[in-house]
Amino acid sequence: MPVAELKERHAAAIEAVNDLRERLKQRRQQLLDTDVAGYARSHGRSQVTFGPTDLVCCRTLQGHTGKVYSLDWTPERDRIVSASQDGRLIVWNAQTSQKTHAIKLPCAWVMTCAFSPTGQSVACGGLDSMCSIFNLNSATDRDGNLPVSVTLNGHKGYVSCCQYVPDEDIHIITSSGDQTCVLWDITTGLRTTVFGGEFQSGHTADVLSVSINGANSRVFVSGSCDGTARLWDTRVASRAMRTFQGHEGDVNTVKFFPDGNRFGTGSDDGTCRLFDIRNGHQLQVYYQQHSDKEVPLVTSIAFSISGRLLFAGYSNGDCYVWDTLLARVVLNLGSVQNSHENRISCLGLSADGSSLCTGSWDTNLKIWAFGGHRKVI
Amino acid sequence: MQSGRPQSVVSPIPQRIHSSQAADTRGKHRIQAELKRLEQEARFLEEELELIERMEKASAACKEMFSNVESRPDPLLPITNGPINPMWDQWFEGPQEAQGCKCWIL
Repeated sequence: MPVAELKERHAAAIEAVNDLRERLKQRRQQLLDTDVAGYARSHGRSQVTFGPTDLVCCRTLQGHTGKVYSLDWTPERDRIVSASQDGRLIVWNAQTSQKTHAIKLPCAWVMTCAFSPTGQSVACGGLDSMCSIFNLNSATDRDGNLPVSVTLNGHKGYVSCCQYVPDEDIHIITSSGDQTCVLWDITTGLRTTVFGGEFQSGHTADVLSVSINGANSRVFVSGSCDGTARLWDTRVASRAMRTFQGHEGDVNTVKFFPDGNRFGTGSDDGTCRLFDIRNGHQLQVYYQQHSDKEVPLVTSIAFSISGRLLFAGYSNGDCYVWDTLLARVVLNLGSVQNSHENRISCLGLSADGSSLCTGSWDTNLKIWAFGGHRKVI
Repeated sequence: MQSGRPQSVVSPIPQRIHSSQAADTRGKHRIQAELKRLEQEARFLEEELELIERMEKASAACKEMFSNVESRPDPLLPITNGPINPMWDQWFEGPQEAQGCKCWIL
């Protein structure tokens, strides 16, 4: 077929896809008879109210000498791993604030870190396009450094995010600037499955974040610079189960909702959104108008253990606590006493939901917990 | 690259790839591959249009969500379902910030 004809067919195909997308969007609009906040109001729900000393900073973890980029909790016991611009991972005992490991990385440009389900290993990745695994029980080398146990090599772009598949230390999922996500087998160091990329349907720009469904670990969601979030089944590499449109900028962060049927996103467009995985509905947009023209980017999100609260870090240093049902900001951890002095770049909830850890460009991590009077119903 | 990503004067800066890059200068094979991808996407969208006819409304999803959220005990809420776990208050017992390790890793 001559190139000119091919180009014509290509243009026609673009038009057809756009037309189908528009029809889908309109049909979906008809099904959006309410959003979450509308439902809450019509069912008489009251907003969560915090007193001034209810959510407090109860630990400040100091030790990094550069911006903190990423953090992760262990599933059991209160330990945290953090990654920083200083080229190190630090493992913390969150209760005592003690550092148990300070790992100097072979490549200083780290972007993400994760704790393994058993707590025996940590993983990290960054501009070296690799995911490196460290066994915390290994002997250090003669320079006092913890050696890399396994290197997961294969991405053709930076590793933006990594998360272990729950319940075992064997599989990990990474997202990358090469537009793919990959499921790895750590015992062999090989790629089990590649999601998206050159030969398969997937993201059309850098992938920035992944989140595995806590209720069904075969399902994960990814967020990308193409403005979409995509839902994947690890058994199906050829295409995403569903693509979620709506954001008007890079999707920087994705996080599954605690019940496993929804997930949240945070974007350069300044909004967080809640999507339902079974029907694809965008259930709620979380956005607060600012008085000035600047729209801060959402850098990171986390849900409280019930899902009633959404914590969102922004590029201007704010850390809003959203009531997810009423879609209102109920607190700003960026402006309370003892808050961070710079942007909050990462957030994570402890396994039992009793505390939130925030990591910041001010080089510190902080742990927040509820210190007020609790009413039980 | 957003300012949130690690960068300095000497670091390599990853270039974000956008789908709107000009197609005109690409070879025939590239156009064919893109065409194939678009046709595949059209099929996926058609499938989704069929499925959406049987889909429930947003209010049904909200009802389920509320039920799940409001039944789960949450240590960070001022008003929550029980049972309460006494371990939730561990952060306010034992070593406090002042005695925490503040050594710097250099």
